[in-house]
Amino acid sequence: MNIEEKIKDALCSRASGWSRHSPKRVYFSVRKEDILETAKLLFKELGMRFSIASATDTPQGIEILYHFSFDKTGEIFSIRVLLEDKKSPKIDSIAPLFPAAEWIEREMWELLGIEFSGHPNLKHLLLVDDWPAGKYPLRHER
Amino acid sequence: MNIKQKALTKSLFAYHAATSPCNNCDIEILDLFTPRHDVERFGITLVGSVRHADVLVVTGVPNYKTKEKLKTLYEQAAKPCFVIAVGNCACGRIMFRDSYNSPCPVDEIVPVDAYIPGCPPKPEAMIAGIVKLIEKLKKAEKK
Repeated sequence: MNIEEKIKDALCSRASGWSRHSPKRVYFSVRKEDILETAKLLFKELGMRFSIASATDTPQGIEILYHFSFDKTGEIFSIRVLLEDKKSPKIDSIAPLFPAAEWIEREMWELLGIEFSGHPNLKHLLLVDDWPAGKYPLRHER
Repeated sequence: MNIKQKALTKSLFAYHAATSPCNNCDIEILDLFTPRHDVERFGITLVGSVRHADVLVVTGVPNYKTKEKLKTLYEQAAKPCFVIAVGNCACGRIMFRDSYNSPCPVDEIVPVDAYIPGCPPKPEAMIAGIVKLIEKLKKAEKK
């Protein structure tokens, strides 16, 4: 059983929208409630490495991609989460699972205004500490 | 002018202030000190503390955070301290002009004595820039 089948097996219906963009890049979507569980599965049980997360402001909502790397085969699995509520996007923090996610979540919080509940230290990283609250530079004004 | 300035032109000690660059200019600056260019022949060397520096070599576009740091660095430097802006970013912000995190160019924070444009400038261009700065200082000396 390859790693993709293992994920499909463990997550069943919770993971959707599977697509393989190239031989080593796999994308799938989960709901925002399931992100903690999915990250735990990939990181703790399947032994993947957390590379980085990235967020974009799209017309449908704010989209976060969590990129996990499986070093045995060189595949990268990207979990896609869509936060539809643009006024106050909120998601569980995965920083309690592994501290590597701490800084990128701080960055996503200050640049796009995503609230990470359960984050141990949510404060400014790249911007100055007295940056005006509620002003998110990477949000699109539509 | 005075003996201090005269001695200064013989050996410039440079302090490298990186105000959020992309590291390309920094690598080219380090190239100056490798055997191929070796500006230490002319008495120019990098120092680890701004207190020992005669020249502040600034790279990158300052952001709100590094702007304050650059100001502090210049205040801490023993005067006279000259500032060289290396690279297009430090010379005039170019494409980062309208960025949300770019308050002002380098020459609005500290007085810049020499501009070395390029993205990144070649080590030869930097040597030319330093020579021009030394000439400028020598001319000021004569007056």
